[in-house]
Amino acid sequence: MKKLATVSLILALCGGAFYAVSAAEKAADPAAAPKEAAPKAPVECFESRKGASEVTQREIKPGWPNVKCSPTTGAALWYGDPFDGTVPMGKMPQLDIPEGQAVIKPRSEKLALMPMCGTACHNGVGPTFTPPTLPKGKKPAPVPTMAAMVPDLANLQHGRGRIWCLDCHHTTQRNKLVDHYGDPVSFDQPQLLCGKCHGDKLRDWRDGIHGKRIGEFVSTGKKRWFTCTECHNPHNVQDGARNRGFVQLQPEPSPQLPRGMANADHEKLHAVGH
Amino acid sequence: MANKQPPCAGPAQDLASDCPVQPASADPAANPLKTTRRDFLRAGGMLSMSSLMGTAALMTQSDNANAATEWAEHFQKNYRLMTPEEKNEARLRLERRYSDEYGKKVAVDTTEAQPGMLMGYALNIRKCIGCRRCVHACVAENNQSRGTRPGEKIEWIQVLRMERGKFEQEKMNHGYPEGLGIQVGGNAYTPAGQVLEGQYRYNPEKVPEADATYMPIACMQCEKPPCVKVCPVRTTYREADGPVVIDYNWCIGCRMCMGACPYWARRINVTTPVLPKEEMNPVTHYLGNRPRMRGVVEKCHWCLQRSRHGRYPACVEVCPVGARKFGNLLDPQSEVSKILERKNVFRLKAELNTFPKFFYFYD
Ligand code: SF4
Ligand code: SF4
Repeated sequence: MKKLATVSLILALCGGAFYAVSAAEKAADPAAAPKEAAPKAPVECFESRKGASEVTQREIKPGWPNVKCSPTTGAALWYGDPFDGTVPMGKMPQLDIPEGQAVIKPRSEKLALMPMCGTACHNGVGPTFTPPTLPKGKKPAPVPTMAAMVPDLANLQHGRGRIWCLDCHHTTQRNKLVDHYGDPVSFDQPQLLCGKCHGDKLRDWRDGIHGKRIGEFVSTGKKRWFTCTECHNPHNVQDGARNRGFVQLQPEPSPQLPRGMANADHEKLHAVGH
Repeated sequence: MANKQPPCAGPAQDLASDCPVQPASADPAANPLKTTRRDFLRAGGMLSMSSLMGTAALMTQSDNANAATEWAEHFQKNYRLMTPEEKNEARLRLERRYSDEYGKKVAVDTTEAQPGMLMGYALNIRKCIGCRRCVHACVAENNQSRGTRPGEKIEWIQVLRMERGKFEQEKMNHGYPEGLGIQVGGNAYTPAGQVLEGQYRYNPEKVPEADATYMPIACMQCEKPPCVKVCPVRTTYREADGPVVIDYNWCIGCRMCMGACPYWARRINVTTPVLPKEEMNPVTHYLGNRPRMRGVVEKCHWCLQRSRHGRYPACVEVCPVGARKFGNLLDPQSEVSKILERKNVFRLKAELNTFPKFFYFYD
């Protein structure tokens, strides 16, 4: 600060008072310029999984955004309101939570983006083409119409070939999943379907050990629960370098380098030779 | 002041910080002699206040209100020795000062620990992908310095990248020590990264990398914190609900605690913190994320400004894989209690008997 003041003083004495002031302002707040431009274009960031849940940044009260987004990776970095855009989760078996204390972010609205699927074919009764293009049972069969639309249909990773589309998706209702008894399951509650096979994970998820929740941490508090598909892509569950069901993503910037160091190569040296 | 003290004998006392039997960690505010000592100090301060205030105003080149605030801060007691009224005064003073400085309404919370609450943390070491979102969420929440010059960028969480070890056929006949021909051991093993010996500044295009494991560390909120033991002015202490906090106003910047902490959790503001107005988080706690000054030490406090009001810490909320878990250790239904009951957990450097309330676990 002192240095700055001196610089501006000298400049002022030289007669460049105006320039000195503007220079000092710029130097004092180098981040000001890009920050001002940011609110104009809507900032959108992704939460856990790209493509699963995006949030658009907006102010919920002056100077208080609903979410802060990373300028580097476009990831959600801070929640001003953890319950922004959520609805009650609804009843879950073996889960005794007062109504409204467990909320989720609905996916159903997004599914409405593809309405044409639900008009001609997946309309609740099935298409009226002859011969019928929709398989009657759950037995895997080639579906040429779908194969054209979903290129990786043939090498679906999930279950390593043991399951196929209609084990999870409802045959005639485009916007529904299906459980083992053929009953429709909402896309907002994928846990009702996933938990049928991954029971251990469902149990941990129910107790808050597996998966993610935000909001109030006390066990009776209101929480937003992240459902299975908000983190895992059921179609390529084994993606990611570690085959752990979470796709790779770009990390946030690394910490400051130690004073006088140009890079972090010293971190890669091992005390033990090998 | 003494006549305003709540009755301490009743079993219902909970938040009365003046009660001698408060369950806090040896609360010095319980000392009945404090009244006299404080009044003495204040009386002394008052006498010379009027004459010195002018000088202070001249020296700081600012308006009288600011100078008075600074002056009052000089006579402020250690937070634990303050009465509720003094805490309130300090709070108002800071709110005025920060609101002025950052050009918006800043709230400084002084909510006390709630009875029946002992905060605990668990982190799933198998799940962490090393994305560093927790690091940056922490900075967004806790008003750390974010300049670019040396020492101006402060982050409380560090994510360690550790290489995976492996045994290899090709190294079967490498002796140990290597190259000396003396065979005291084998060298077929390529060592894995060891705890606290790792890479902090990894920067691949994508994480997780196939050959790495990630281990985030921050303050472990030890039950027996070595940092508290060494602090010469007792400005850092364990709060009754668990977190180890710092009264920044009493910190003298001696860095004893930084040396004592076995987890490298503490940071010092060697420069005046760089905190742009529009990035400043106006919801603060006195012992938590209120803006710090040059020459004081800071560290993770489990987002006291949030957790005292029941909200998850910022790092828990942004972790994309849900590796971070937070809860009340005294509540058997809490997430952390369930983890302790059901999963394999370990604590970092458990052999030091610091008894962290931060647990690592894996599926
Ligand atoms: S981790 Fe370090 S700073 Fe935190 S309580 Fe323990 S010794 Fe103190
Ligand atoms: S945000 Fe979660 S996954 Fe990312 S580095 Fe932190 S703990 Fe690991």
